[in-house]
Parts: sequence; structure tokens; C-alpha cells
Amino acid sequence: MAEFIALRDIRKTYGTTVPTHALRGITLDFVAGEYAAIIGRSGSGKTTLLNIMGTLDRPTSGALVVGGEDLFRLDDDGLARFRNRTVGFIFQFHHLLPEFNALENVLIPNRVYRGRVGADVLRRGKELLERVGVGNRMHSRANNLSGGEQQRVAIARALINEPRIVFADEPTGNLDSDTSEDVKALLRSINRELGTTFLIVTHDRHIAAGCDRVVEIDDGLIRRDFRTADASEDENWRELAPCNCRERRRGDLG
Amino acid sequence: MFNLVVAFRFLREGRGQTVLILFGITVGIAVQVFLNALIVGLQRSLIDRTVGSAPHIAASMPDIVPEAGLPGGDVRPVLTRVVTNQGNVKPIRDWQPLVAQLEKLGAFKSLQVVVRGSGFIVQGEKSLPVVLQGFDLERADALYNIRRRMTDGRYEVGGNNVLIGTDLAAKLRVGVGGSLRVTVASGATDVFPVGGVFDLESQPVNESWVIISLARAQTLFGLDRGVTEVELQVDDVFTAAGWARDLRASFPSLKWLSWQETNASLLAALQSQSSSSYMIQLFVLLSVTLGIASVLAVSVVQKARQIGILKAVGTMTRTVSRIFLIQGAVLGFTGSLLGSVGGWALIQIFQALRPPQAGGFPITVGFGAIVLSIAVATAAGTLAAYVPARRAARLNPIEVIRNG
Repeated sequence: MAEFIALRDIRKTYGTTVPTHALRGITLDFVAGEYAAIIGRSGSGKTTLLNIMGTLDRPTSGALVVGGEDLFRLDDDGLARFRNRTVGFIFQFHHLLPEFNALENVLIPNRVYRGRVGADVLRRGKELLERVGVGNRMHSRANNLSGGEQQRVAIARALINEPRIVFADEPTGNLDSDTSEDVKALLRSINRELGTTFLIVTHDRHIAAGCDRVVEIDDGLIRRDFRTADASEDENWRELAPCNCRERRRGDLG
Repeated sequence: MFNLVVAFRFLREGRGQTVLILFGITVGIAVQVFLNALIVGLQRSLIDRTVGSAPHIAASMPDIVPEAGLPGGDVRPVLTRVVTNQGNVKPIRDWQPLVAQLEKLGAFKSLQVVVRGSGFIVQGEKSLPVVLQGFDLERADALYNIRRRMTDGRYEVGGNNVLIGTDLAAKLRVGVGGSLRVTVASGATDVFPVGGVFDLESQPVNESWVIISLARAQTLFGLDRGVTEVELQVDDVFTAAGWARDLRASFPSLKWLSWQETNASLLAALQSQSSSSYMIQLFVLLSVTLGIASVLAVSVVQKARQIGILKAVGTMTRTVSRIFLIQGAVLGFTGSLLGSVGGWALIQIFQALRPPQAGGFPITVGFGAIVLSIAVATAAGTLAAYVPARRAARLNPIEVIRNG
């Protein structure tokens, strides 16, 4: 399969007097329909990478080509259009608009796209909410929903414009383990059903182990990039667990 | 469409804030509407009292200017002095075609010819200067509104009968049935019986006017069929100066004066009153604008997360700024609409407390003035939203998304 998302030597530096190099030359390719995890310690640059891939941020240098289009040659409105039509976002903190109810929140990207929501889109919005399991909370205000419900609504919102790519930043970071499992399964099933490309930034090794491919970022560089889909579960855990344990210990101490 | 929905939701969500600023705008605009109506009403009544029952434009013969005989060739310079006969009275002799032409224009509410001249009344040792007004009574009434303001006698000036003002009557201690001996500048003297007394609510007029018939005045001043002045009233008093200018061009042999030219100091006073009222209104509008601007500036900070999300899902910069511009316009429009109603209510209260019959003056609030107030306030609200809107548009979505 041809590459769908191509990153070419992406660099990102913050500050000028004391420059911080968040990304120090990332070159990566993803094929359409891929279900990949980006892992790394806090401050490794993985979220910066996701923001750049999602065009929320511009790199200091380097190119991002999606579906043959060199994105950072576009102006801000061009990038906004790309985000609206090609990309869905799932954030750690859900980020729903509290002024709107669940269904309205789901429809927002479509209203941004077309201004007025057609009957078919409305139906799709309702179907998506059913699909993510909050069909009964459709007309509840966003801030009256529980964390898990909000995250499900956010997933439905990410999918409303039928994006080809979904970027998820710690999608289960704020959820309890049961809900976390549900959400994980949900994302996977959407990937299988619709062929949507998923790029998931996560700390969670369980999620990483469930992905087809894992990219590990360390200090702004790719440390490892391997396919989990080809290996057995045991092999994958051997790849992921030592690092995971080491990090857990560090995390506990820190 | 979507930006409208978001703008309204933001306003509704910040209900307390929205209500507070709307209240502020309402009070401001109510004061503005009320003040404007008050000043307009005051000026209208002042103008009405000044020129409502007076000519707006008057035509008379220009003073004759002496012409110097200029030296030409070997002629010696000669200084000419013109002595006018009959004191100040210089008649317009061919007034009939002029009046016919003016009437044909159809632009004048009332039109009359007058023979006006000075004289004095001798009574015992007293000698009082008076102004003799030779009127056609019907036409004069249309202009000066005398019939309704008669205090005694009848509104008639047949033969030698005259009408005098209340103050003159009091000074001379004469009333209806008494008589006056009037002498004019040419020396002609006659005795006139008083047929009625009027009160035109102006002391100089009540003290000096002696109204006689036009024909009697013409013979008294020896004008033959001539008159001294043509007086006109227009429908809109403020067009008088323009008409005077036009008439001056059409009939250059006469001297045309509008009330604006004869009441320059009144006009200056009205103008400075207007400009101080405009100043106050400007500052009210300024504080309304600043109020809207500060509320929206706070709102941008409060809604930073929402703006970030909207931008992340692809809302364009101009849509984001429109969300805030709309909020400014909505606040300005709604506030000024409520304010106009409030201003109208204030006017009703003011009218009830001081009705025109009890020495107040009528205030009417013009539809145009209200529409203008609303339009200006809406524009000001939109303008006030400009800076907050720009800040919102520049907001970086990652900043807000990263921090939850």
C-alpha cells in the first residue's frame, strides 16, 4: 500500500534565546487504514508530533504530505479546512462545548463544514451516538455527562464528517479501566469497519499492544518503530513491558 | 449561520454578564433618546414661541445708498446725499405682481403685505413712540394669530378704528371706546378710536403696536397704493434662510431677510445647546461602547477553551471573529432597542409631570431619531467587538487544548 501520511524530517524548536528542541527530525510514513500508537515518556515530543500531524501546530522545518497534498504550504484557512474535512480529533480532556448538548456537539464539525445540518447528517449523528453507547443521553448538556460519556460523545464528534484520519491524544487518559477497555474496543471496531486511519498518542501500553504498529518517540527522535500485528501477543509484551515497567517506576518516583 | 448560533449560545450561557451589560446599554440609550427628544422639543418650542407667530421672511425696499459722482474726464468729484422722504418709510409700489408670483409658488403658509411706520401718541404731557401696523386683518391673523388673543373689543379695524396692545392700553389708561391722537413722522396727525385690545404675549409688541387698516395706513403715510413690507411664513421654519436666498436672487430689487438673519443670537444659542447635547450623547455612546468591549474581552478569556475546540475542528479565523462581532452587534441592537423603549417611557413620565398646559413643552420622540440611535448603537457594539474578536481569532488552539 502507498503511504497516505508522509512526514519528512519534521523539526520543532520552541523559544529562541534558550531553544528547546521538541522534535529533532522525524521521518515517518503511515498507510491508509493503519491503526498505530505513538508512545514515549512525558516530554518526549509525542504530543507535539500529533499536533503537527493534525495541523494544529506548524513545524519549524520539514514537510507533511497527506493524500499527496503538502499541507504546510497551505494558509491557516486551508489547514482549518483540512482539519474539518479530513481529520477527526479525540482529546484527553474530551473538549466538548458546554453550551451545547451531546447531539449538537457531535454535529459541530459538520456545521462548521456546511453551515446547516442536513437530515442525513442528523441521522448519522444519532447513529454515531447510538454506536458509541450514549444514544440515551443525546439531548443532555455536555457538562451533565460523565467523563466516559463525554469521551464517547467526543469520539462520535470526531467521526461525524467521515474523516480519513483520526488523531487521538490519550483517549483513555481520564477514564477508569472498564470504560477505558470499552473505548479502546470502540476505536478498534471503527477502524475495522470504516477503514479510518487511527494515530493514537498514549502512555497506556495496553492500548499500544492492541495497535498494529507502535512508534516510540524519545527526546524528539524515533527510537523504535515496529509492527505488532505480525508478532504474537507474548512477543509484543516483551517489546513493550520492560520499558513500561521501567517507566512506571520512574513515574511513581517522580 | 453557525457563527450566529454559537454567538447566541455564548450570550445565553453568560447570562448574568449579558443581562448586566444589556442593562447598562439600556440605561445609556434611554438617557440618550430622552435627552435628544428633550433638547429637540425644547428647541422646537423655543423656535415656535419666537417665530411661530412672526414672519419667517420679510421683504422691504433697501435703504438708498448715496452714490458718489465719480470723476470722469475733467468733471469735479461730487458727493451726493440722498434724503429719503417720509422718514424711514420707503414703499414697495408694484407689490401686486410680486405677491401674485409668490402665491403661484405655493410654498408659503401665509403671505401678507404690510404698511409699517413709526409715530407717536400724544396724551397730555405724555408722548409715546408707537409702531403703526397697517394690516389686512384676515391675512395678519393667519400670520400673527391675533384674533384668538384679543382681550377686549372686536377684531375689526374699519374706518379709523385701531387695535392696541394691553401694555399700551394700560400706560395710556384707555380701553375700548377711548381714542388716541397719533402723529406720524411727516407731521400728519389724526384721532383714532380704540376698537379692541390684544395680548400677543410679548411686552415690546403689546407696548408699541397700533394696528390700523391697510388702506388707512397707506393714506396716513402718504404711500398711495404702496406697502412697506411683504411678510411670508414657510412650513418648515428652517428652510426660511434658503428661501430668502432664492428670493434674493429672483427679486434683487428688494431686501429679503429670513428670521435666521434677524435672530442670529437665538440661533447661536440653539446651536451651542445642540452641540452640548451632542457631546453628552457622544460620551454616553462611548461608555456604552467601552462597556460592550470590556464584557466581550472578558468573554474571550472565558470562552478560550471553546474557541480552541472550534478552531481545532476546522472553524476558520474569520468565523471565530464573526462570533464575537455578532455578539457585539446583538448586545448593541438589543440594548438600544430596550433603551429606546426606556427613553420613550421617560418622556411619558416627564410629560405627565410637566404637561404642556402647565408650562411644560411638548416633547415628541421622532421615529427617525430612534432608528438612528439603534443603528449607531449596533454599529458601536460591532466596533467594540473588533478588538476582542481579533484576539479570539488569533487564539492558538493547542494552548487551550493542551492544558485541558
